[in-house]
Amino acid sequence: MQITLDHVTHTYQPGSPFQSTALEDVSLTIRPGEFLALIGHTGSGKSTLAQHINGLLQPTSGRVLMDGQDIHEKGFDKKVVRRSVGLVFQYPEHQLFEETVARDVAFGPRNLGLPADEIDGRVREALKKVGLTQAGIEEKSPFELSGGQMRRVAIAGVLAMRPDMLVLDEPAAGLDPQSREDMLQLIAQLHAQGATIVMISHSMDDVARFATRAVVMEHGRITMEGTPEEIFRHAERLESMGLDVPSVCRLGIQLRQMGVNCPDSVFREEQAVQALLDLWKEGKPHGHA
Amino acid sequence: MAMRDITLGQYYPADSAVHRLDPRVKILLLIGLIVAIFMARNLVAFIPVVLFLILATVLSQVPVRLMIKGIKPLRFILVLTFLLNLFFLPGETPLWDVGFAVIKKEALLTAILYSFRLVLLVMGSSLLTLTTPPIVLTDGLERLLSPLKVIHFPAHEMAMMMSIALRFIPTLLEEADKIMKAQTARGADFESGNLLKRARAMVPLLVPLFVSAFRRAGDLAMAMEARCYHGGEGRTRLRVLRISDGDVAACVLMAALIFCVVACNSLHLY
Ligand SMILES: Nc1ncnc2c1ncn2[C@@H]1O[C@H](COP(=O)(O)OP(=O)(O)O)[C@@H](O)[C@H]1O
Ligand SMILES: [Mg+2]
Repeated sequence: MQITLDHVTHTYQPGSPFQSTALEDVSLTIRPGEFLALIGHTGSGKSTLAQHINGLLQPTSGRVLMDGQDIHEKGFDKKVVRRSVGLVFQYPEHQLFEETVARDVAFGPRNLGLPADEIDGRVREALKKVGLTQAGIEEKSPFELSGGQMRRVAIAGVLAMRPDMLVLDEPAAGLDPQSREDMLQLIAQLHAQGATIVMISHSMDDVARFATRAVVMEHGRITMEGTPEEIFRHAERLESMGLDVPSVCRLGIQLRQMGVNCPDSVFREEQAVQALLDLWKEGKPHGHA
Repeated sequence: MAMRDITLGQYYPADSAVHRLDPRVKILLLIGLIVAIFMARNLVAFIPVVLFLILATVLSQVPVRLMIKGIKPLRFILVLTFLLNLFFLPGETPLWDVGFAVIKKEALLTAILYSFRLVLLVMGSSLLTLTTPPIVLTDGLERLLSPLKVIHFPAHEMAMMMSIALRFIPTLLEEADKIMKAQTARGADFESGNLLKRARAMVPLLVPLFVSAFRRAGDLAMAMEARCYHGGEGRTRLRVLRISDGDVAACVLMAALIFCVVACNSLHLY
């Protein structure tokens, strides 16, 4: 399954004094199996773009295509997109409402009209995927859980619909370092199992670690697109947009400023370790003790 | 699903003489206007009231379109009261026999009078809310009601509750919009089905909304206490209200209006 945004423009509240254009002429194809990172300043239109991918928002102009078919065309069943593309909103734990964890996770499959035993199976599978395996957790109230666990329940609720593609809006926001790391490992694992991932993130270190492709947005437009390697080579440009670069890139920039011959293609921790070892083996860096 | 499209409080931002009036004075002026509208006993007595409203509207720079919009929701009530008065009020001079009833001159005049009153009342109050931000309005209300604190009327608490509610309505609407989208992404359907099905579909929206409202209320209470809020006792104000020349002029105008209405009433026209 492939989703394509074709010259999409989105204006909120058109014709009112509060009119604002959040997306302008955005074209993007999400390839099956990739891990796409969406980066950009707050207000650059990332969340708006995410909500176009599963047809929650309709473009003011332009089209959203699923395998070549316009999803907003008359006669196209939106439930097909909703089932194939799982959207995890920012702070998804705020959408929990059922009395028990199991019932909340079952909400999506229930809306799909699946038989009860199929729903049960999917709930168990989804909870296992997100690592909620403690005995009796299904029967707990979701409101008794910790923040990180609540978020896992919410993600399980999306996974239970067995989407091919998972769109996550800042999935690690507001978590403590351990839960953060667990969350990212979970997403990486889902990707390894074959899911297409679109992740909005503010952490360039995470983008460098996991993404296979990155898209940079500014003022509702896509301004950069490519592999993390290609994107982070333009560290200065990212910084001029008010964005971070991975800490490894910053280290590289500083080393180069000091006259050390560190390649600009280095943006991951392992690469940095390798590059530094190489430099070490070459002997003492020039100009410095 | 366009929850944000609902505009709340219909404040029309502008920098006009009416906008600049003290909110307390504006509230008193509205009360004065209501008194004048109810005192007017014949159509001639409405002329000064209408002139006053026209003057106020022009000075306020509020588009007439917005004033008219305020009356729109009332059109059914207007037509209904007009017809009821027309057919059922007693009178002596028959005007027109419509078959099932005879329309009398006195009934027609009273029907017109009542409808007119309703329209003027709504326009007057619209003008107040169009030219005064809700927060300023509650501030003015609190100050006007504060003498009642002597008899333990909770003027400050009431105004505080009103301004907090006003502050959070847009936030809650935004939140509702977000939750609705999140549940729609999980296949929820808020738009089709019979009444029972739709009512049940609201549960996944309302539960998270209440949870979030309580969380926000808790956070707000904490934040207010952290900044030493302890009720209205001894609190100073950000907006210091002062009576200006414009306020005095407006009050004089209102006194003149009421005088004119009384004078017209005593002329015994229509
Ligand atoms: N529901 C909405 N109504 C009106 N404007 C909105 C709404 N959601 C977002 N916006 C506006 O659209 C722009 C892009 O927002 P968003 O997509 O949330 O950006 P990001 O996720 O990158 O921070 C912002 O200027 C924001 O104020
Ligand atoms: Mg966002």
